[in-house]
Amino acid sequence: MKRVIPVLVLSVAGLIPVWRYEPSIGTTTSSTSTATPEVVSTPTPTATSSSSSSSSTPSTSSKKVVQGTAINTSKGTVQVQVTFEGDKISSVSMLQQPDHPQTTAAVPVLIEETLKAQSSKIDTVSGATITSDAYVQSLQAAIDAKGA
Amino acid sequence: MNRVEHVMGFPVSLRIDDEGGGSRMGETADALFAWLREVDARFSPFRPDSEVCRYDRGELRLPQLSADLTEVLDLCEQYRIATGGAFDVRLPGRPLDPCAVVKGWSVQRAAELLAAAGARRFILNAGGDVVVSGGPWRVGVRHPEHADQLCTVLELTDGAVATSARYERGDHIVDGRTGRPATGLLSLSVVAASLTEADATATAAFAMGPEGVDWAAARPGCEVFAVDAERRVRRTAGFPVATVAA
Repeated sequence: MKRVIPVLVLSVAGLIPVWRYEPSIGTTTSSTSTATPEVVSTPTPTATSSSSSSSSTPSTSSKKVVQGTAINTSKGTVQVQVTFEGDKISSVSMLQQPDHPQTTAAVPVLIEETLKAQSSKIDTVSGATITSDAYVQSLQAAIDAKGA
Repeated sequence: MNRVEHVMGFPVSLRIDDEGGGSRMGETADALFAWLREVDARFSPFRPDSEVCRYDRGELRLPQLSADLTEVLDLCEQYRIATGGAFDVRLPGRPLDPCAVVKGWSVQRAAELLAAAGARRFILNAGGDVVVSGGPWRVGVRHPEHADQLCTVLELTDGAVATSARYERGDHIVDGRTGRPATGLLSLSVVAASLTEADATATAAFAMGPEGVDWAAARPGCEVFAVDAERRVRRTAGFPVATVAA
């Protein structure tokens, strides 16, 4: 028997993709290879239900600045800061960054990945029956135009 | 191959990704859209000469109906009983309107036309109701309050998803038990093996209001994602939410 589980409060700006940082101090490894998955924390709505109170904060689409986990790598400590406009990432900056040519070069990749995932590629859109007039301005029309 | 045509007043987007068979897939797409236009002519409650209207006026009797319409009306009756009358295509003082079942049923059959013609990888999106094959495909669900945003993304390989809400056509779904528009939910999506099941279940559950979420979740093979009037999201554990990072 299936049960419906409450997931989260969908605030006015409570959108997918939901990217949230859980501010905490990383205690993890000293290898650079783990740095990427650690910094980019990607809870889906499922995860949000069990995580912090951040999801139930009544969010207007105001700015919110969140600091990521500080991660110790063999090249030094890495920590990013993300600014959300509503639930969209508007900017990513480095709070701590090792002064080392290799990691400096790696950093932009990390940021790019974060922003790419935010734009969450989709193949089609489900919604309430849309009229042909409303279709013109819909996400599905944009997807169709791209594929044509 | 991508095609968009407007049938029954809504856009129908077809994408077929199979390699080869180019012209044959074009013919299959022609047949698919011809079928949907035929459905519109036969089952529209807005066309006085449709079978639905003629039956409603008493010009046709039950035994004279086509096998297709008989099947549709049987489905309507099943959902009416299953929802305790919340879903009802015969509301007092209104013409017979089986659109909610006709849409899912006819688009599901259109998808079966594609499969029978050899298509394996496709997306058929009929005004927001979706049948996919040969995925994984990523299907966004429109945010109930922001047309340009999504409230979830699901991953679907083979199957269907339908969404009921008020944002496009206003309070058009009526709770047959009260005769009043259903306003207890902002949006409700159902994933099922067929669009016939997904679409009718989504509309019926929406008509029921908040209790419809549990009702739909209890139906075999249905996974549910719902946003209530307080913007709370409820979903079944098996609703196939896509992982964000690939």
